Amino acid sequence: MISNAISLMIAIPLLGAVISFFAGSKAKFVALIASFIPLVLSLQMYMEFDKTSKMMQFVESYTWVPSLGVKYTLGVDGIGFPLLLLSTIVSILVIIYSWGEHNKPNQYFALLLLNEVGVLGVFTALDFFLFYIFWEVVLIPMYFLIGCWGGPRKDYAAIKFFIYTHVASLVMLLAIFALYFTYQLPDGSRTFDMLTLLQATSDKTVFPTGLLNIIFAGLLFGFLVKMPAFPFHTWLPDAHVEAPTAGSVVLAALLLKMGSYGIFRIILPMLPSVDKAFVTIIAVIAVLSIVYGALMALAQKDIKKLVAYSSVSHMGFVTLGAVAFTWMSIQGAMFQQFSHGIITCVLFMSAGTIQHVVGTRVIADLGGLADRMPKFAVIMMAGFMASLGLPGMSGFVAEFMVLTGSYATLPVYTMIVVFLSIAITAAYHLWAMQKAMFGPILKKYMDVHDPHAYELFSMSMIIVLTLIFGLQPGLITGMMGTAAYQLMEPVMTLSQMGVI
Amino acid sequence: MDFGHYAPLWGEALLTVLAVLIVLLGSLMKNSGKLMGYLSLAGLAVAFGLVTSNLIIAKPAIFFFGTISVDSLSQFFKAVFLVVSLLVVIASLSKYTGKGAEDYYALLLFATVGMMVVASSIDLVTLFVGFELASLSTYALAAFDKSKKNLEAAMKYFIFGSVSSSLMLFGFSLFYGMAGSTRLADIAAASLANFGPATLVALLFVIAGFAFKMALVPFHMWAPDTYEGAPALVSALLAAGSKKMGFAAAFRVLLIALIALRMDWYLAFAILAAITMTLGNLAACWQNNVRRILAYSSIAQAGYIAIGFVVVGAAYGAAPVTSFNGIAVPAAQLGIAGALLLVLGHALMKTGAFIGTAQVASMVAGKGQDTDPDDISNYAGLSSRAPITAFCMLIFMFALAGIPPTAGYIGKFVLFSSAIYSGLVWLAVLAILNSALSLVYYLRIISYMYLKKPVGPKISEPKGYVAALVLTLIAVIWIGVFPQGFIDWALQAAAVLLPQ
Repeated sequence: MISNAISLMIAIPLLGAVISFFAGSKAKFVALIASFIPLVLSLQMYMEFDKTSKMMQFVESYTWVPSLGVKYTLGVDGIGFPLLLLSTIVSILVIIYSWGEHNKPNQYFALLLLNEVGVLGVFTALDFFLFYIFWEVVLIPMYFLIGCWGGPRKDYAAIKFFIYTHVASLVMLLAIFALYFTYQLPDGSRTFDMLTLLQATSDKTVFPTGLLNIIFAGLLFGFLVKMPAFPFHTWLPDAHVEAPTAGSVVLAALLLKMGSYGIFRIILPMLPSVDKAFVTIIAVIAVLSIVYGALMALAQKDIKKLVAYSSVSHMGFVTLGAVAFTWMSIQGAMFQQFSHGIITCVLFMSAGTIQHVVGTRVIADLGGLADRMPKFAVIMMAGFMASLGLPGMSGFVAEFMVLTGSYATLPVYTMIVVFLSIAITAAYHLWAMQKAMFGPILKKYMDVHDPHAYELFSMSMIIVLTLIFGLQPGLITGMMGTAAYQLMEPVMTLSQMGVI
Repeated sequence: MDFGHYAPLWGEALLTVLAVLIVLLGSLMKNSGKLMGYLSLAGLAVAFGLVTSNLIIAKPAIFFFGTISVDSLSQFFKAVFLVVSLLVVIASLSKYTGKGAEDYYALLLFATVGMMVVASSIDLVTLFVGFELASLSTYALAAFDKSKKNLEAAMKYFIFGSVSSSLMLFGFSLFYGMAGSTRLADIAAASLANFGPATLVALLFVIAGFAFKMALVPFHMWAPDTYEGAPALVSALLAAGSKKMGFAAAFRVLLIALIALRMDWYLAFAILAAITMTLGNLAACWQNNVRRILAYSSIAQAGYIAIGFVVVGAAYGAAPVTSFNGIAVPAAQLGIAGALLLVLGHALMKTGAFIGTAQVASMVAGKGQDTDPDDISNYAGLSSRAPITAFCMLIFMFALAGIPPTAGYIGKFVLFSSAIYSGLVWLAVLAILNSALSLVYYLRIISYMYLKKPVGPKISEPKGYVAALVLTLIAVIWIGVFPQGFIDWALQAAAVLLPQ
């Protein structure tokens, strides 16, 4: 493996963004190349990734601002790597899906590439300072994607998105500062090193429980807003409805994962040291998100809004699995975020395709589209099935693992509520599908036809991926298991975890 | 006379001679074209080179019977003033040419010399002379375009300025009466506390005088009107240069001469800082004139910088709180360094932003519209009308809001951390929340530039403005990405003010 692979992976889309900004109508080719190289690099990394190692891999570390304790440190483990892979896959597929973009394509593709830069940075940064920079970098391209290419209420949605998530990240920043200013290295200096600080949080003499609770709450708030979890989700439907399709895909598939990544990377290592009441609070938030997201999705008229709420519901499983804190549930939650990342792409792409082929996304106005768009209908159907958790596809495995794992530690009525909401999930998916795609075709839609090949290509690639990971989850759960094991290690013995 | 002995002051001498020469030449030549602009540019560049070749001075060089000191601190401020003047002159090359331009450049050079004298003076009378030289020159500059608005702005600025000067002078005279000397060191040595309430009265006058110059609430009324009404490039000089002169003077007088009274002025500055940043940011949210927004934002920034005084007052003489590269650093030194970094960063960002408004105003002015050229509606769609200006403004706005990696965040970071180290957590949190609030109005300008439909066709951007903007942009990002050298430099400069 070439050295500095992760830096290279971040640098190439950044360079690509600059070039495509000046490339005019050729921008899409630049974007394709600039997102293809990171994909190849990440696959190469996958081959070389040691799935049984608990250490950070592909680590690069350079001093940056030594006097402030800021280092440029990147690295991945079983928590970060699946998301890194997800980012490179989704980024290139989104770029292919957007091949036909005519409105200022140079800026459009540049922004998509910048987004990739930001999320790759977030998933690999091991220094809180660097982490925060990438965290903020992501906001800017998404703000412009919504604001410049969005729907009728784009200004409102863009500002709401920015302010809402920026306030959340400021709260997170305050918590990071509290970590930074409280902990002193033996020589008296401070550090932003993520792993060092997280390890220090278990030291009661440095971080008394009262202080740690406040820090923990701040970090948790930052991540829950980003995920988003009920009741901090209100920015999401607005942002999704107004965003262009590619923006929605990136938002749901990658940006939301920044929040859940934070849960695994930062919240879970701290969880054993904070007040036990937090477990209950997070579990309640998780269950409410699952149920509320599902119920809201059921009530939506706009198919895109339906998909947006389904994200809230599915991300609830991630929170639930994480907080249940068993080896199986954590693994399942990690797999759920990966799986949701790919499945949601096809859902948002479907909504986007319906919008531009038919001209409306209101479910009641649609009907019988499968007649005229047979290929699209098959792919969309597969996507919806994956999303509702059909066995054989990745969503099923993930939710199964979360629920089986959570059963051991969470009260049984939690499970009952969640199972009920799975029924609702199936209901809204099937109902929307049936209403929009099947039944007799409406007269006005007689001349619609299948979308462009590049759109179908991106969507079908994702279906292939959901099948691969649904039938062979071990491809990625191996490393997740190692990571989950490491998260559990401080609190439980192996037999308690059910490993042996 | 040994000229070599005065080598550290060659910059000031050169600029003074040049200013006189420019006035003479201008009256002799019929049409000087751009000559005067280039002459001042060359002079400032040479002076800048002289200052920067000698940034860190181990042992202060004292001149003119103990009234002028060339030390690391004076070099820091001189570098800031010269950069601002340089950028303003570069931008002015496109605007002020031909007959009459000589006055502009001469005044600008005199103002720069005045600021440089203030940066170096360690004697109240010398300081006052420098102050007045800079002030009188800028009063004239503020009215330079001779429009009605200019005159009003200059009049207000003049009246407020002269009142504040006389308040300050009165305070100085009281201290002279008590200490029997105008040297800062002698005043520090005199036991002022023996004079009872008289010291408080004197202190009050001095603080009020400085607060006018620094535009701290409630002495800020003149700033929005003046920054709005003066020629935009002069506003850049006022906000970025002459305002920072107030800080240069206040640092010397309060931290050297009046350090014994720190318990008295520390609280005053804590309140002034808290009110100033909050009111400045709140007021900026309601403005529609971009230059007024920038004016209020610079009031808010003055509030942040004033935290430096509070930190010194609170932590003077306390034990080191953290270590940088193994060297223990006291909070007071860190506080001054943070304030200096913010002075540097803000000077650059504000110069850039005001040059940007000058650019927009010049585009609108050609149309013969009688609307306000700085109204935010003129910024609609600026990204497609004047892409370079818009992009630079975008970065300056983010930098002003303190988003990394730009010059804006590094000063805030160091400054706010010093506040935390000295136990002023409330002030640091308030300042961080204020930074979040400020994003509201910066984002408003950005959304006008990037999200709104353009109000006119594409326009050619004058080369002078573009050059100044791009140079500023590079500096702002450079400081943000490679802050280490600047932090070390600011710490060295800060050490001048503290007992060794």
